[in-house]
Amino acid sequence: MSKFTKIAFNKGELNTQLSQLFSDMLENNAVDAVLAPMAQPKKGVMQTLVTSKENLASMDPFAPVMPVNSAKLVSSLTSTPSGKRIAMVLRSCEVRALVELVKLKQANLEDTLLIGMDCHGRYENTDFLKFQTKEGTSEGFLEGALNGKTESDGFDVAGACKICEYPEAPNVDIRLCTIGSGNGTLYLEAVTEKGEEALTKAGTKFADGPGGRADAVKKLAAARAEARDAVFASYREETGDFNALDDKLSACINCYNCRVACPVCYCKECVFVTDTFRHKGEQFINWANSKGTLKMPTDTSFYHLTRITHIAAFCVGCGQCTSACPNDIDVMPIFRTSAEKVQARFEYLAGRSVDEPQPLSVFDSDELMEVTGQVK
Amino acid sequence: MSEKKPTGKVLVAGAGISGIKAAIELAETGYQVLLTDASTQVGGILAKLDYQFPTDHCGMCRMLPMVGREYSSEYCMRKSLYHENIEILPFTEVVNIEGDAGNYKVELKKKARYVNPDVCNELGKCIEACPVEVDDEFNHGLTKRKAIYKSVPHNVPQLLLIDKQSCTECGECVNVCSTNAIDLNAQDEVESREVHSIILASGIKLYNLRDFEDAKSYAVSPDVVSSLAFERMLSGTGTYEDGMIKRPSDGKPAKKIAWIQCMGSRNRRQNRDYCSSVCCMFALKEAVLAKEKGGPDVETTIFYMDMRTFGKNFQRYKENAVEEHGVKLIRCRVQEVIRKPDGTLQVRYFDPLTNEFFFEYYDLVVLSTGQAPFEDHKKWAGLIHTDLDPAGLLTTEPYSKVKLAGKDGLFMCGSLMGLTDISEAMSSGIAAAGEATNFLTSLDVSRKFGDDTPEPKTNDRSAPKVAVLVCQCGEFAGAEGLDTKLLETELRKVKDVEAVHIVESMCSAEGEQEALEALKKSGCNRLLIGACQPYMYRRKLKDVARKAGFNSSLVQVFDILGVSRRGLHEDDKTAWTRRAIKEIKSDIASMKEKPALHVQSQPINETALVIGGGISGMQSALSLANRGIPVHLVEKSAELGGFAGNSIASTIDGLAPMEMAKDMKLRVFEHKKIDVHLNAQVEQTEGTLGSFESKIVYNGNGEETKPIYLHHGATIMATGGHEGKTDEYGYGQADNIMTQFEFKQGLESGEIDLSETENVVMIQCVGSREKGKREYCSRICCMWAMANALKIKEKNPDTRVFVLYRDVMTYGFLEQYYTKARLAGVIFVSYDLENRPEVEIVEGKPVVKFTESVLDRPLEVSPEYLILSTGVDPEPSNKDIAETFKVDLNRDGFFMEADSKWRPVEFQQMGTFLSGVAHSPMPLPDVIMQAEAAAQKTFTYLSGGEIQTARVTSSVKDALCVRCQRCIVVCPFEARSYNEMEHRIDIDPSACQGCGMCAVACRNNAAEVSGWSDRQLMSVIDEKLSDDIELSTT
Repeated sequence: MSKFTKIAFNKGELNTQLSQLFSDMLENNAVDAVLAPMAQPKKGVMQTLVTSKENLASMDPFAPVMPVNSAKLVSSLTSTPSGKRIAMVLRSCEVRALVELVKLKQANLEDTLLIGMDCHGRYENTDFLKFQTKEGTSEGFLEGALNGKTESDGFDVAGACKICEYPEAPNVDIRLCTIGSGNGTLYLEAVTEKGEEALTKAGTKFADGPGGRADAVKKLAAARAEARDAVFASYREETGDFNALDDKLSACINCYNCRVACPVCYCKECVFVTDTFRHKGEQFINWANSKGTLKMPTDTSFYHLTRITHIAAFCVGCGQCTSACPNDIDVMPIFRTSAEKVQARFEYLAGRSVDEPQPLSVFDSDELMEVTGQVK
Repeated sequence: MSEKKPTGKVLVAGAGISGIKAAIELAETGYQVLLTDASTQVGGILAKLDYQFPTDHCGMCRMLPMVGREYSSEYCMRKSLYHENIEILPFTEVVNIEGDAGNYKVELKKKARYVNPDVCNELGKCIEACPVEVDDEFNHGLTKRKAIYKSVPHNVPQLLLIDKQSCTECGECVNVCSTNAIDLNAQDEVESREVHSIILASGIKLYNLRDFEDAKSYAVSPDVVSSLAFERMLSGTGTYEDGMIKRPSDGKPAKKIAWIQCMGSRNRRQNRDYCSSVCCMFALKEAVLAKEKGGPDVETTIFYMDMRTFGKNFQRYKENAVEEHGVKLIRCRVQEVIRKPDGTLQVRYFDPLTNEFFFEYYDLVVLSTGQAPFEDHKKWAGLIHTDLDPAGLLTTEPYSKVKLAGKDGLFMCGSLMGLTDISEAMSSGIAAAGEATNFLTSLDVSRKFGDDTPEPKTNDRSAPKVAVLVCQCGEFAGAEGLDTKLLETELRKVKDVEAVHIVESMCSAEGEQEALEALKKSGCNRLLIGACQPYMYRRKLKDVARKAGFNSSLVQVFDILGVSRRGLHEDDKTAWTRRAIKEIKSDIASMKEKPALHVQSQPINETALVIGGGISGMQSALSLANRGIPVHLVEKSAELGGFAGNSIASTIDGLAPMEMAKDMKLRVFEHKKIDVHLNAQVEQTEGTLGSFESKIVYNGNGEETKPIYLHHGATIMATGGHEGKTDEYGYGQADNIMTQFEFKQGLESGEIDLSETENVVMIQCVGSREKGKREYCSRICCMWAMANALKIKEKNPDTRVFVLYRDVMTYGFLEQYYTKARLAGVIFVSYDLENRPEVEIVEGKPVVKFTESVLDRPLEVSPEYLILSTGVDPEPSNKDIAETFKVDLNRDGFFMEADSKWRPVEFQQMGTFLSGVAHSPMPLPDVIMQAEAAAQKTFTYLSGGEIQTARVTSSVKDALCVRCQRCIVVCPFEARSYNEMEHRIDIDPSACQGCGMCAVACRNNAAEVSGWSDRQLMSVIDEKLSDDIELSTT
């Protein structure tokens, strides 16, 4: 059963209070290090690994930006264990991607203390810089978001965030709760024993949680799910056949940024940069011959289709792929729509549970009978 | 191996699954096999079964070899079988056997087919032309065939033949045959062959509704069919169509189906005092399938006497059939079946529980027809000059199910031993091959592996140069109409094709020579051959190529007459040529990307480790040691012999386990090749097939003994089992409540005196066949009960013996003891789980209360002895052993074999085998048979000096691998493992079967199956998607 503690903060004090909390954790040996979004010296907010409490002052976890999906960072930190306990402040999509990477043996939760923050969305990286320039603050963003307003001057949170039905992070030890908490208030929720122990060490006293939080989360998730369904429907309409999909992807230049940004694309070296796709000159001529023309670079749609087959079972919908595209191709809905169907078929949900086996990772002789032709 | 020694030759008479298995095992061991079958096909009964228990799929190919795959074909076994060392002669009868052990001369009558299969192009025009229509035997008369026909619809190649009895010799077929394949005047040919040893595997004749008198009161309508005919009604090549099981009389869907068990079997009056063993499971499977294939509204009922679910996991299958699939079971005797005017079938039966007659109506009645074994036995007895036993069966050596009595070098397997299920057919086939190998080892004969032409060296880096060789099939006009000129012109245009050669006929010696010369001159390094029936000729064609300097893996054979023509209109020759060109071009595209693949040989440590020193373990050890294989025999107790060998003096079928074990112990201790380790256990093991290292620890007498490390190439688990314990029915509360075993020992030692005994009660299935307890049948308790009951009756005929049972499991020829017990006056009373006997202890003595079903009243008996059949438990040590060897246990604690039907004595983990009660409870002769089979499998792998891995196996590119280990979990052959020390994926190439699951699971081609790279496949796709060539008429 979850335990809560309330943090009330005056204007401009949210980050100070949070810094104090993590400082207490380090001081009391609850963890050895903290990974959290920190304001960078000049501009921007980036995930930063901190081992001494003196350096926690620039902490800013609620800043509406996510330069990378941190699941990959956690993978780097934990796949060969350091033996040090690290508190990690992550968004829902980061935790869910991390769960998939753990199952793929690319990360390991043994020494982690996962702290999930309620997520109201993130701006695109360039938009966030504009937001900062105009003196936008995390507290200001939170206040607006809690009143249903996330947009700033001329920009809003990313498309993926608007249709994300998981504002609350699952599978974490501690939650930073803003939804249903009221203005100027943050609740800490100890979700697991590990979380409770860490907070206790940091000197936290537990009390009642925010009333009505569950309903508020549910309501927000429902609204976003509705938006999601609308996006899915129109996207499916637009990409009804291969040619339509091909058109959507026609500006692709094989930069592979979407793959680099994708938290669950976990290969060491992508097959598209190996010899398999280093075609001979003769091959290009043959292709051109068969249709009269050949758009270059080649293998662009093939690349995205391959990505669909590779990640549809693991995609958590963080939308980093769309954010990474230099040519403004909105690729996120391709993966989200295909992921929805694939995951439903396997009764699987990426990020839901560490114990649930991933589709096609277990051998079951009696499955997918509609495609194997088995009679049963 | 001296060169002059002849290769050992074995005749396997009968090509059902047990014969095939024996043949494959011998061929793998390096002997030459003649595999004959009197029928027109190979595969026996199984060729007719599309679905097999327990998976309800086909799994026949699982009997193919796992190692050394290069020397056999890996095709669907229901289509056909090919192996370098096996010569298959279907439609051939053994008509004479002369000579003796090691030197048999056999006469084989090859029956005339009237169609020459070498020439026939399988287009089937003759079948269309034939005006004669008769019942098709393959479908049990449910469908019609012509006088010229394909005997099995799914064989490859299609071997056509003419049924001369129905043929009117009108000659229509001869007229339409373009290849002159038909000769109506063909004659049977008798051929004489010499072999060293013979295995009889001709199976049994099945009880037949038409031939047997006692079937008449049931077979009253075409809608009463045999169980085998019902299989054909479930098959797409039978009468199953549009999701409908069709009633034979009117083609309407059969929605209510009844099975009547024991048809022809368990009938003493007809001199058939045996059970056919397989029909209960067969009927359960059919009833489950009927619902799956005929729709959920199909109702299925099985009328039975005893539901004999005695085999491993059978009980569970039955429970599942009843609980999950709603199969209804009614225990009764069916009196008769009457055909009503509207075609429905009225089944009248007597319910012994209520003492009432009932009527029930069905659309279809299936008679579970069993075996009628004696005819073949009589024939064989005549041929091998031996006498039959009083029951009319061939006799075997004591303790052996496969060695014929007094006939060295003669063995039998499969249903000739009495109808067997698939698993027993497999074990017996392997065991018979094992005994034959044993026998051949004692002769001056050699073994032969692979062929002699060495594989030419290849330079993997040289640019691809492709030669194409096309056979025109000149001899038989098979390729008439194929425009080879155009073919040649078009292929010459393809990049990297350096030579195109058209040969008149590759079948002729001149053709072969011509091809050889041309290929030698070509200077190419890759070769594509277009020819007919590559299934049959691939080997020969590849040999020619190899002689010309081509590496086998860079030679591809393309079926130019068959595949490229399939589905096209016969007269459309342009389409045929165009298709052929396109197919060849895509093959060329793939070959250009293909690297040369090599067979790797892994050295083998020829020592075997046997765990368990009971009868099974000793048998395996002796069998291997006698063939020169060094054996370590590890026994955890201080003594060899195991449960049976140390405590069972006699069995009902006249065997004496203790005496036998005593003799075996002597031979084991004296054998130079066997090292016995007593008080020893395997604590740790590492390695793969051919090279294991195991740590043995000793725990005897509290003495400090150092562990030792053994090196061995394979392991046999023979851990056995022991009598189960119980606290039910007052056991432990009174001296005269005892187990069957305790009672038997009391009788044998004379401690139990029956002279004053009035009543004895036995309760069967104590703690067995029940959820949460022993969920299986222990198979031997019914026999023990019969033995003890008969002993009691013999000592004191006045003693009343009650046997309270659920199902009497006296399967096979054991049925005679059940009959004997009933005749001796033993009273059998059935009970079920809802209505079980109750035991009360009154003044220190048991009082048993139960319901006597015939009288239908409760009885109370105060027996002098209450005897409980407590079943067989697996050894608790199995758990540790399973963990050590990375093999699995089933839910009951017995070891789990690689495949419950097709690979009963092997584990999925290569190089580990199992036998005896470690597998499941079984009687002594079966233990011996399995031990022999496990020894044979071990021998095959260990005796070759090395193991040849297949060319097509998968590999890992370490630099690309992210170690996500998905490939490990998906590998169905456990060929992959994670090496923690080196932090990488390891592959056991001898275990890898090249299935490609890992390559699918791997995202970035770190796992790749050799010869199936993405580049190859993409080239093929590109070629197939390319535009059709413009055909300029030449």
